[in-house]
Amino acid sequence: MRLSTRAPWRRALVVWGGAAALGMSLPAASEDAPAVGLPFEAQVQVCGACHGNDGNSQETGTPSLAGQPELTIVNQMIYFRERLRQNEVMTPQARGLPDNEIQALAAYFHEQPVAPPDGEPDPELKARGQELASQQRCASCHQSDYSGREQMPRLAGQREDYLVAAMVAYRDRTRGGPDTTMIDVMRGMSDDDIEAMAHYFTYLHTEE
Amino acid sequence: MTPSRQFVLALTAAGVVSLSLATPLLADDEPAWAQGRSSDMADSPLSPHATPMTVTNEEDIPVDHLRMPDGFSAEIWAHGMPGARMMARGDDGTLFIGTRGIGRVYAVLDNDDGEDREHVIIAEGLTQPNGVAFKDGSLYVAAINRIFRYDDIESHLANGDDIPEPEELTEAFGLPDDEHHGWKFLAFGPDGRLYVPVGAPCNGCEVDEDTHATIHSFEPDGSDMRVEARGVRNSVGFDFHPETDELWFTDNGQDWLGEHGPQDELNRLSESGEHFGFPYCHAHGLIDPDLGSDDACDGVTMPAAMMGGHAAALGMRFYTGDMFPEEYQNAIFIARRGSWNRTLSVGYDIQVAHLSEDGERAAISPFMVGLLDPRENDFSGRPVDVLQMPDGSLLVADEQNGAIYRISYETPDYMEE
Repeated sequence: MRLSTRAPWRRALVVWGGAAALGMSLPAASEDAPAVGLPFEAQVQVCGACHGNDGNSQETGTPSLAGQPELTIVNQMIYFRERLRQNEVMTPQARGLPDNEIQALAAYFHEQPVAPPDGEPDPELKARGQELASQQRCASCHQSDYSGREQMPRLAGQREDYLVAAMVAYRDRTRGGPDTTMIDVMRGMSDDDIEAMAHYFTYLHTEE
Repeated sequence: MTPSRQFVLALTAAGVVSLSLATPLLADDEPAWAQGRSSDMADSPLSPHATPMTVTNEEDIPVDHLRMPDGFSAEIWAHGMPGARMMARGDDGTLFIGTRGIGRVYAVLDNDDGEDREHVIIAEGLTQPNGVAFKDGSLYVAAINRIFRYDDIESHLANGDDIPEPEELTEAFGLPDDEHHGWKFLAFGPDGRLYVPVGAPCNGCEVDEDTHATIHSFEPDGSDMRVEARGVRNSVGFDFHPETDELWFTDNGQDWLGEHGPQDELNRLSESGEHFGFPYCHAHGLIDPDLGSDDACDGVTMPAAMMGGHAAALGMRFYTGDMFPEEYQNAIFIARRGSWNRTLSVGYDIQVAHLSEDGERAAISPFMVGLLDPRENDFSGRPVDVLQMPDGSLLVADEQNGAIYRISYETPDYMEE
């Protein structure tokens, strides 16, 4: 009885039908993410093409995943997959990926060592960033060493250009997602302050 | 998830005095959940626990942790639905389930053939579609910013059709779309009207008493709005007394005013339009340290029962089934999702409320416990809603594990039937 309802294709139809009914523009149901159905090692390569196979991104604007808390990666991937966070690059990469495969990828990138950032810190800018981060109480969620915790990402050693873009997007309310904590925190922050904080986080552990 | 213990003493001391001593508040660039946190609590480790958005494997679902009075037992009824929260049952037996963060609405099909029950995702990408209600063949879904009606949905599910395009009723209802406390509970009253709470858009603040901190009712098409209850900070669960038809509802107390309270409330609405105190008068008659004047509690309806400080009393239903013993007739089962805004955790359980003879007060008592480990101050599950099944068993939604438990009763061996 009702064996047909267990067929995956039907579930997919129902899912897509429901979303389409809500007036969302969707690609065809067959457009699963490139990593769907691949073995784990190949999935790492798909992610690594932009984020680096060791999770240390060399791409402008693309965040490093190395050393990120697992839940940080898992939650953002699910936001992309469920279209709760709109992103033209990442949503197509996440569609159709099952929870357990996302979790395995997150565990892999979490384990990767964080490479030191390129370039040299500007001591003055870094000091100002440190002061701002202290005022903004960033460490109360992101930890005193800025290594992140659970759904709250690691900031230490992250790409500077990515940190700036992410904070600007929160401030300007262009980065969606169910968690609005960062939107509240970044309200009214100036570009200069954002640049200083990003500089501080990126070069946190770099010797001056 | 366990608050650091070194903060416990300082926090408890602050909690005791904070109702009488208003400390300066932090700037308004705090996240929503931190509003009202005093500056001396700025380093508090307390913050809401994140809800998992991934499937909990069946073997990891803590059904073996559940403890109930003798004769009751619990089983996993359905699982694999991350973030499962509020429940509504269709006339043909489909269980509809709302969520918050993951943005989905689930439907569990009524196909008890000895295998796992199949579920389908009937909507996704919504903003916290917490509220679900069913009437005359239609499913009503309330997200923070939109309301939908899915007509004839069970026949479409039974036929394996695509889900019908929902009717959007957002404009007809005309509700505010604040994120803060904006997630909705939904239920139809015995009067055939749809009851919808609108929480305060803050932890504590002045509100327009006609638009926020209310429970509204509407005709099912969204017309003829009435304000049924005012001064309700954030209700995420209610039901109607099976004999008197009165609305009974839970209400969540304010955060950051102290370790032990103000307590969550179980309330009874005896007359449409009554005021339940927010933001001036909390719980059993505590005057707000910032907004309340000396007469803040005059004319305020006091709770029928206290539900614990920060315990997050949410979904609740009267019991009218045949399966449970007589003492549960017309009692209320209440899910407490469990606390975050106190260092010593409470809740994470189902309480049962027994009403007084005059039907005006209630006393609460534990019914289903075991998800909170008091020695570790940690939890393994978070009950958010209950629902009585036609056979008299009780479903419990566990948001933390995306699971639905079924609680049933058999007379213990040592008792004569």
